[in-house]
Amino acid sequence: MKKLFAVMITVVFIGFLLIGISEMPPFGYEDNPANNEVANRYIEGSIDDTGAINVVSAMILDYRAFDTYVEASVIFTALIVVMAVLKEGGIKFED
Amino acid sequence: MKTKIIENIVKILIPLIQVFGIYVILFGHISPGGGFAGGSILGSSIILFRFVYGSEHTDKKYPYKYLMRTVSIALIMYGSLKGMLFILDHFGIDKIIPVGVPNTFLSGGSIIPLNIMIGLVVTITFYFIAILFEEGELEYEHASE
Repeated sequence: MKKLFAVMITVVFIGFLLIGISEMPPFGYEDNPANNEVANRYIEGSIDDTGAINVVSAMILDYRAFDTYVEASVIFTALIVVMAVLKEGGIKFED
Repeated sequence: MKTKIIENIVKILIPLIQVFGIYVILFGHISPGGGFAGGSILGSSIILFRFVYGSEHTDKKYPYKYLMRTVSIALIMYGSLKGMLFILDHFGIDKIIPVGVPNTFLSGGSIIPLNIMIGLVVTITFYFIAILFEEGELEYEHASE
């Protein structure tokens, strides 16, 4: 009974998600909402704006630099949390 | 690990790994890569050094105190530098650090210092997390003597 219930819930959720996917625009179509002026600006103006020929670097370190800042802070926060949980006790490598 | 073979091979290998990591960080605005990729390469070289040469030697070479200070200063410098640039950009003062000629090393404006700071943060954080999971301790008492 429990298994049947789980299978029914899974099927309902899969159907629900498939309905959502069926509304999505086709892949690579030029009228998609993702192909707006922001992407064109990045491709056409990034060398003039930043001087970097690597567009990905120009995006993550210039246009969206605070996103990268918070990513680095997330890694740092993870270090602090791991330090709080795991410090002390463990094996030690002999040289 | 006490094997002489491993020690001697790693002695040759680690400078090559570190030069490659520094290259990936410094040329992040020209070729694929950047602070995150290069930082993980550099961090893996320090982890290898610690596994082969032992905890005591590594604690003396890379003291915990200075590494932690480096991470904090790098994060603060990143936030203040880029925040200052964003605020000045809003008031119309842009390109304080000159953009330079594209496709040469000295180009990209503020991208090189920001990449270096991200690289430092990622290097030291990966190293710390790895040794915390492996040993459960960041620094032993002998290092502070």
